[in-house]
Amino acid sequence: MAILEEPIKGIVEVKNYIDGEWAESKGEIQDVVNPVNGKIIAKVPISTKEEIDSAVEAAKAAFPDWRTTPPVARARCLFRLKELLEANFEELSRVQTQEHGKTIDESRGETRRGIENVEVACGIPTLMQGYNSEDIASGIDEYLIPTPLGVFGIIGPFNFPFMIPLWSAPYAVATGNCIVIKPSSEVPLSQMKIAELVDEAGFPPGVWNVVNGGRTVVNGILDHPDIEGITFVGSTPTARNVIYPRCGATGKRVIAQGGASNFMVIMPDCNLRATIPALMTSFFGNAGQRCLAGQNVIVVGDDDRFYKEFVNGVLDTAKKIIIGNGLDEEVQMGPVRDTEKKKKILGYINSGIKEGAKIILDGRSDFKIKGSYPDTCFLGPTIMETVKPEMKIVTEEIFGPTMGIIRVKTLDEAIKTCDDNPFHNADAIFTSNGRTAREFKYRVKSGNVGINVGIVAPMAFFPFSGMRDSFFGILHTQGKEAIRFFTESKVVIERWP
Amino acid sequence: MQLNTSASVISFAKQLEGDSAGFYEKMAERYPKAAELFLTFSKENKNYETMVQRAYYGVITDAIEGCFAFTVETDKYTFEKEPAKKLRDADALNQAIDMEQKLISFYTDAAEQSKAFMADVPRTFLIVARKRRNREDKLRALLKET
Repeated sequence: MAILEEPIKGIVEVKNYIDGEWAESKGEIQDVVNPVNGKIIAKVPISTKEEIDSAVEAAKAAFPDWRTTPPVARARCLFRLKELLEANFEELSRVQTQEHGKTIDESRGETRRGIENVEVACGIPTLMQGYNSEDIASGIDEYLIPTPLGVFGIIGPFNFPFMIPLWSAPYAVATGNCIVIKPSSEVPLSQMKIAELVDEAGFPPGVWNVVNGGRTVVNGILDHPDIEGITFVGSTPTARNVIYPRCGATGKRVIAQGGASNFMVIMPDCNLRATIPALMTSFFGNAGQRCLAGQNVIVVGDDDRFYKEFVNGVLDTAKKIIIGNGLDEEVQMGPVRDTEKKKKILGYINSGIKEGAKIILDGRSDFKIKGSYPDTCFLGPTIMETVKPEMKIVTEEIFGPTMGIIRVKTLDEAIKTCDDNPFHNADAIFTSNGRTAREFKYRVKSGNVGINVGIVAPMAFFPFSGMRDSFFGILHTQGKEAIRFFTESKVVIERWP
Repeated sequence: MQLNTSASVISFAKQLEGDSAGFYEKMAERYPKAAELFLTFSKENKNYETMVQRAYYGVITDAIEGCFAFTVETDKYTFEKEPAKKLRDADALNQAIDMEQKLISFYTDAAEQSKAFMADVPRTFLIVARKRRNREDKLRALLKET
C-alpha cells in the first residue's frame, strides 16, 4: 500500500477568520510542526487581546440578524457546510494526520464524527421547538421558547483538532448564536480549513469566527463581558482551576471537559478474540492521546491461566503494531504530538517502574518505525504489570500509548477501583455475562460506560458525558444537551382579556 | 503481505476491483462474442468499488477499531491481471472463474472480519460477494456454451 499524498505542501500561513474576512495577526508567529518528520507545515499567529476583542465585536454585531434568521434558513447554511465537508472529506482527514500525526483511519473517523454533529444540528427546526400548555388558568396559556443568547467561545484541544470544536459549533450557530473558536495553536489547520468551508457555505460575516493563539486569547474569551458562555476541552487542571471558576466569576455558562484515567475491566468470561483488538484501539489508538483511551485494565478473578492467556494475547498483538507515518495506510499507530508530550509520557512510565510496576513491553525503546523517520516524537506501546490503584500511572492522566494491568479478585473490587479514581470519564467492561454487565453499568460512577466497547465515544445525538474531575459544568456538548446549553428558556404566560 | 487497518483493506479492495476490471477489458478484446458481457463486468467493478468506499467512509469512526480490524493475507486473493496469452477460450474463462472465486473469498472473509463494524461494512462486502457469485454462474454458463 502506498503512502498517501500530503495535502499541505510548503508552509501555510494561518490567519484569523473574523467577520467573514481572513485577517493577519499582529501577534507573535509560531511554527506548526508535523510530528512525523519534524517539518514545519504552517506558521500560526498567537493573536493579541485586540484581535480577540474584534472577533467578539464582530460576533456580537452579527447576532441580531442571525438570531432573526429562521431556523430553517440557518439549517440550510449547515446543510451546505455538511455537503462541503463531505466533498472535502479526504483532504480534511489528511490535514489532521499531517498536523497531528494520527493514522489516516483515525483521521477519517474524526472527520466522520465531526460531520455527524453538523448533521444533527441540521435538525434545528425540530430540535429547537419549545412546548406549551393551554389554559393553565382560565383563558391563560403558557409556553416555553428556547432563545439564543449571543456570543459563545469554543476552546479546542490538540488531540482532535477537527472534531472537538464541532461538538459545540454547529449547535451554537444552529440555535442562532454567533461563535469565536480558538483552536489549539499546535494544530490550527483543521479549523482553518473548516472556516474556509464555512465561508463558502454562505454563513453571514461574524457568525463563525476563528482566532488563533494561546493564553491571551483564552483570557480574552474568559473575561469578555459580551461572551455568554464557553465550551472547553483540555486538561483537568485548566478546566477545574481556570475555565470553570473564571466562567463562574464572570457569569458565563460553561462546559469544561477535562482529562481522564479510564479503566477497562476484563472478566474471565469475556471473548478474548474480540476484546484484544478493542483494547488495542482503546489504549494505543491516537497514540493514547484521547480522553476516552483506556489507561489501565483491571483483570478480575484469580484464574492464573486466563490471566496468562490474556496478557500473552495483549502482548503479542501490541508487539506487532505497525508504527510510522499516519499517511501510510498500513500504519496502526502514529507519533505523539510533540517532544514535550513524549517527555511527559516517559516520565509517567519511569514513575510507574519506580513505584513497583513491572514493564513487560517497553515502548520507550522496544519498537521499530516503518520508514525513515526520526524517533523524535515516536513511542512504542508500553505495557506494565503489577500496577496498583494508588500509583501515579493510575491516579493521573498519562495521555500516551501505555497500558497498566491491575489484578483484583472480584467485580466489587474492580468497581471500587474505578470509583476511587478521581477521574470518571469512561470506563468499560468486557464480559459475556449480561448480569455482570448490568451490575457494572448500574454501579460504576462514570460519565461514559462501555460494555464490550473499548472507546466509549457517544454519537453526535447523545451528550459527550463525563463526571467528577473529568467534567465541570452541568450540560454536555453534542445533541440535545448542546441545544439546551446554547439556549435560554423564555417562558411566556399569555392572557387576552 | 498482511493487512490490518481498514484503510489498507479498502485500498486493497479498490486495487482488486481495478485489476479485475482490466482483466475483463482484455477478455472483451480477445473474445468479441462475449465482449458486451465482459465490458458490463468491468463497469460493475467500478460500482462495487464505489459501494465499498461509501460504506467505509460512511461508518469509519474512531470507535470501530479501524486500525486493528483486519487480518487479511493479500497473497490469498491475488490473481493474474491479464488472461494468459495463447489460452483457449475455455481456459481463459476458467481463469476468470478462478479470479471471481478469489474475490468472493476476499469479500466473504472481509465481511466476517469486519463484523465489529457497524452493519454497513460487512453487509456491503457480502452484497459484492453475492453479486460476484452471480457473475461466476454467468461465466460457467458461457463456459458450457464454449
